[in-house]
Amino acid sequence: MQALAAAPAVPALAQQVRPAPSSGGRGSRGALGVEQGVKEFEVTQPDAVADPTARFFTLAQFGALKRLSEALMPAMGGNPGAIDCEAPEFLDFLIGVSPAERQQLYRGGLDALNAKAKAKFAKSFAELDAKQVDTVIRPLLAATPWAWDLPKDPVMRFIASVRTDVATATRNSPVWAEKAGTRGGGAGQLKWLPIDPIYKG
Amino acid sequence: MTETHDVLIVGSGHSGGMAAKVLTSKGISCLMLNAGPEADYAKDREAVAAHDLPYRGFGKPGRLTHVTQANEYNAEQWVDEKEVPYTAPPDAPYNWVRVRLLGGRSLFWARQSFRLSDFEFNAAEIDGSGESWPIRLADVAPYYSQVEQIFRVAGRKEGWPQFPDGNFVTETNLNLNSGVMRKIAELAKPRGIPLSTMRSSQGINGLASSINLLLPDAMATGKLKIVSNAIVRQITTDKNTGLANGAYFVDRHSRREMQVKARVVVLAAGTLESTRLLLNSGIANSSGVMGHYLHDQIYGVRVLASVPEARGGKAPAGLMGGSAFIPRFRNLSKNDKRNFIKGYCMMIGGAASPAASDFAEYGEELQKKLDHHAGSCVSASIYGERVPRFENHVSIDKTVSDEWRIPALHIEVRDSQNELNQAKDAADTAEELFRAAGWDVIVKTDKYHPPGYSIHEVGTCRMGDNPKTSVLNKWNQSHDVKNLFVVDGSCFVTCGWQNPTMTISALSMRASEHLAELMKAGTV
Repeated sequence: MQALAAAPAVPALAQQVRPAPSSGGRGSRGALGVEQGVKEFEVTQPDAVADPTARFFTLAQFGALKRLSEALMPAMGGNPGAIDCEAPEFLDFLIGVSPAERQQLYRGGLDALNAKAKAKFAKSFAELDAKQVDTVIRPLLAATPWAWDLPKDPVMRFIASVRTDVATATRNSPVWAEKAGTRGGGAGQLKWLPIDPIYKG
Repeated sequence: MTETHDVLIVGSGHSGGMAAKVLTSKGISCLMLNAGPEADYAKDREAVAAHDLPYRGFGKPGRLTHVTQANEYNAEQWVDEKEVPYTAPPDAPYNWVRVRLLGGRSLFWARQSFRLSDFEFNAAEIDGSGESWPIRLADVAPYYSQVEQIFRVAGRKEGWPQFPDGNFVTETNLNLNSGVMRKIAELAKPRGIPLSTMRSSQGINGLASSINLLLPDAMATGKLKIVSNAIVRQITTDKNTGLANGAYFVDRHSRREMQVKARVVVLAAGTLESTRLLLNSGIANSSGVMGHYLHDQIYGVRVLASVPEARGGKAPAGLMGGSAFIPRFRNLSKNDKRNFIKGYCMMIGGAASPAASDFAEYGEELQKKLDHHAGSCVSASIYGERVPRFENHVSIDKTVSDEWRIPALHIEVRDSQNELNQAKDAADTAEELFRAAGWDVIVKTDKYHPPGYSIHEVGTCRMGDNPKTSVLNKWNQSHDVKNLFVVDGSCFVTCGWQNPTMTISALSMRASEHLAELMKAGTV
């Protein structure tokens, strides 16, 4: 999703229109149950009833990520913002299961934001007001028209990455889907299921 | 017990499917081995909203790191890099993008359908360096004509030598009816830049694949057997004659090894898998050229210009919209002196929008800027021809094996100054065009994707008349092993800027008809 959205060129193999699925889809997996009179259950997403417990980032890092997310993707135009959509909480999970290089990019970037906030305002980044946040992050912003050519400076690189990630995590959240309808990522697409995966015995 | 098949075909994409269709139509029995399973479009897909995906559309981190086309929706269609790994030097990343489902990459290709021209077939003379193909457009044209009918190619006839016309089933019109595209046309003409339309396979209901346009005909003859999940690890040869006589394959699920016998072997596993198989088999490489001259196309360059009167959602009716396809226009004559050889095509879009990453802004300020420019832009991007070079090659990495203990491929490809100069010329050309139109260029980059990204990798078993400098003859037949044919993109001498599918399919048809004649004559 993110890779395709960021791809400036048309990927060579992404264009072919495939036949529409049968009326099966998700329900087709329950075909066996249907024969026995079992109806498909409507299940609840975990995000709707529970909070994630694992914290990859330290409290200081997570505080900076929340403040940064709020600044990068505020509620606007009637749509919810990153905080409403719990984008920082999702990114805490996502980065926590990502390759080490990406983890370091985030940890180093958030630590750098806290260090800059401390040096300039003697506060943590989480405690900065909007103007102070702008003072810290404005010099770190860069246009990155070629998605695979991010800035060499690791903190600028982090800002370029997190700006995209926060937007995706926000627009692809259950809260966004509920409050903004299908605008910006809530619409369903056809997802390939594992196709005859290797037999594990 | 063991049956000896007339022809063993390895691979089921456009090239393997075409071989099966042609050979079975001549009454020749074929056995097709395909490394992956069949996909069921109904059962193997389901509609899911992005927020219901486990990773909310980001995809599983660390999976398919070299398939930048992959996303969380389509991740399962690609070959898993952990199951079938390959290696590359740390300073030379390569994106090897593979599909092993029945039908291979023909299931998902972009359907852009072009012929190569004699600017490519006769490349050595045109470029003043490198090698030419042993064939010319006239040799392939009759086969292109048939292939274009099978895939139902729509296009517009232009009569330009660098953009050979096809046997189109539908004539497409120029899409220059908007104000911005009329402006482009007006400015392009005096600059020697020709405007046309994309040529595309319509297929049936948008699917132009081996599985709906080639394999069904072959199956209908009763002469084709297909085995799925059969991973061929070695082509076997007769000790006395050196001729191919079959293959060992491994069952994808049980890893049980099987042996199959055949009078003729046709490889159609895709450029790099066919070459990997041959290198692992240790055959057909007396030239030492096998694995070399790997190349594909540069995809990239991005120029985006905003039309002032279209910003803020205030575009007058009919100003924005339309598109143009610009075939190669560089280095078509000796007088055109450039700091690069070969050329590129360009795609112009007349109703583009910038991306968030195009601006050094954030929050509401960024959103306002995006809204202000939405739909106000004209865009340009290119497909350019990489130079086939001996040093860009693949070999077997004996330290790494795949899930089935088959040694992996090591891929080593680096770009040259020619690619950089070509991309820079394209970016400069688009910028100059857009500025001449009075538009504000807001993005200009001459960057392009790493080798392999185009998924048009070709070469590594190139054809030629000289057995010392080529692997195959002009009929896709091994110089060394006369009953071995390689009918996929590995036979290419030079790729051109064109999507290679029409050429691969036409050459597979041509090779298969020739093979059928040889078999009928008893010479193979």
